[in-house]
Amino acid sequence: MKKRCLLTASILVLSIGLVFAAGAKESAKASGDITLRMSWWGGDSRHTPTLEALKLYNQRNPNVKIEGEYSGWDGYYQKIVTQIAGGTAADIIQIDQPWLNELCSKGDVFATIDPTVIDISQFDQSFLDNYCTYEGQLKGLPTGTNVNTFLVDVKLLKESGIDPDTVWTWENIVSEGRKVHQKDSSKYFSSATPDIIRFWFEVYMAQLAGGVVDENKQVLFTEEQGTQAFTYFKSWFDEGIVAPFAQTSLFYQKFQENPDWINGKMATAWDWVSSMDKDIGSKQNIETRKFPVMDGAKNTGVLMRPSQIFVVNNNSANKAEAMKVVDFLFNDAESASILGICRGIPATSGAREVLAAQGAITAMAEKATNEGISQAGLPQSVWQMNSEVMQTMQDVIDEFGYGRLTPQQASRKMIQSLQSTLASL
Amino acid sequence: MKRKMKRFEGYLYILPWLVGFLALQFVPLVNSLWYSFTDFQLLGDAKFVGFQNYRKLFSDPLFRQSLMVTFQYVLIAVPGKIIFALIVALILNQRLTGINLFRTLYYVPSILGGSVAISVLWKYLFMNQGVVNNLLAVVGLPGQDWLGNPNLALGTVSLVTIWQFGSSMLLFLAGLKQIPECLYEAAEIDGAGKLRVFFTITMPELSPIVLFNLVMQMINAFQDFTPAYVITQGGPLKSTYLYGLMLYDQGFKFFKMGYASALSWILFVIILFFTSLTFKSSQSWVHYGDDV
Repeated sequence: MKKRCLLTASILVLSIGLVFAAGAKESAKASGDITLRMSWWGGDSRHTPTLEALKLYNQRNPNVKIEGEYSGWDGYYQKIVTQIAGGTAADIIQIDQPWLNELCSKGDVFATIDPTVIDISQFDQSFLDNYCTYEGQLKGLPTGTNVNTFLVDVKLLKESGIDPDTVWTWENIVSEGRKVHQKDSSKYFSSATPDIIRFWFEVYMAQLAGGVVDENKQVLFTEEQGTQAFTYFKSWFDEGIVAPFAQTSLFYQKFQENPDWINGKMATAWDWVSSMDKDIGSKQNIETRKFPVMDGAKNTGVLMRPSQIFVVNNNSANKAEAMKVVDFLFNDAESASILGICRGIPATSGAREVLAAQGAITAMAEKATNEGISQAGLPQSVWQMNSEVMQTMQDVIDEFGYGRLTPQQASRKMIQSLQSTLASL
Repeated sequence: MKRKMKRFEGYLYILPWLVGFLALQFVPLVNSLWYSFTDFQLLGDAKFVGFQNYRKLFSDPLFRQSLMVTFQYVLIAVPGKIIFALIVALILNQRLTGINLFRTLYYVPSILGGSVAISVLWKYLFMNQGVVNNLLAVVGLPGQDWLGNPNLALGTVSLVTIWQFGSSMLLFLAGLKQIPECLYEAAEIDGAGKLRVFFTITMPELSPIVLFNLVMQMINAFQDFTPAYVITQGGPLKSTYLYGLMLYDQGFKFFKMGYASALSWILFVIILFFTSLTFKSSQSWVHYGDDV
């Protein structure tokens, strides 16, 4: 009997313990100390400096401890949205620029930036207005300036008999670029995977028609313009500019993992400056070039936007302190020096000066950024960046790339699918 | 008093499980049923929309595509796995020296589970420049776009599932040990051939285990997600776009939780239907030793 009582009691205690385990955590931190959480995605080259900068903040403010929650890119967005919905998101969150609108439109999830706590004078005002504002309110701050860049493997171009200093046009990408595959049938001019072909399509369409989808949910190109674009990209497949989708689809969103790119069998890449270093890896002889722009282009289609945006969770119990941390990360000279260019070339003039004085900005990053800024087109509409719209474009491009659709069919199908997706949003 | 105590004692023992079940399974279950009738988008409020999500399903070409792919996948992976598991179990049932080592080795893939690491490994085995194509080249056969060709990709992905045959195999092995030796001896005396023995003794005796494996593997296969997500992300041309992937895309990529909930309830009904069908059909092919 005694034994049974003991057992019963212990089980009761266990189950009660389970239920109240969460509560116990709360009371432990009632001592005036603040623990903040900050989440970001990236690689080690970003994790290490960020953690160091957060540690420095803690040294200066011993009562504030900041825990880093960091991971790679895969699944990061899903995690963040789920955390926000469940009320467990970190106090400071790194988000990608297109998410700002998507998330703000669903609720008041991010705190409005308080300019009395964070010095925003060192940011480019139009950059803040264009990319970090939702319904007139400043909702986040850009970590760096990120632009598209066109990477070329100088050695492979030379070996294929192409002048590495070629100024690229849409025409000579085909007329010159085909030499790579002609010289060696296992090699290609472009490393584009199906998703990168979608980016190229968006660049082409921006120049031809101003964009793919506008702010009013309207498709911007006509069937003729679509056919023209798809006819052009068909020549990429026909002339061996780009490898067949059957060989590249496996590296969807990860062109840099394709052994053919790593081993120097692909001569060029469409990329973002912020991920350029990771994508180049240990490859040698890579330089940056400007993008092709057609005569009379309406918009270059070359994208410039914040590398990422730091936002403060509106649900945070310590919003004021979180803002101070954000200010520290952006405006403190020592922190700027620790962070370096781990999030691209910084968006604050102060941090850029610190890094320039140290020579911490690589010549390549500087050149790529300047080229990109000089070519930058208009920002894409929020609808063009919508994840369902992108998927709709991608599905048609996949079918086209696998040769299931002629250029005209692809154009017609893309317009129809986009219209029906846009109507459902 | 004592008796009363006794009546509740049992509940106390299962209390931890009960709390867990109610909080972590039952409440979400009811919630998802409710969400399937709303336009819930993860953030913000859910608005009741009646059967709209369910109506939308039947006009959604992606729904049909993913359903088709899933049926194909189940039809390849489940029988493939069971047959493979049975063959390996028959081999491992032989009395050979060192057989225990082999039993362990063959179980290893299943310990690794349907994990991301295995899926990544698969990707590197079957990509164009991968091990498989290199081996084929050695014997002079042309390489294939195993994962890039829409006609081959689903089969290649299914192989991951088939390869993880360990738990089914273990059950078969246990089942084989249960078959009374006297049946085989009797068959031998009657002069039955090996094939005859297999189909009239081994198979009927194993049939309850075949049923169990069939049901469990089918339920798992209908819900499968990881290999297709990691290896091909549903491509090429949606040829590996399993139902689980569509559910994930709608719920966590487009945040249409209402729609995703409706999708998952339809999946539940589909699984329920095929499971009952299997049980129903089992009356005619499953042989239980005690109902002679």
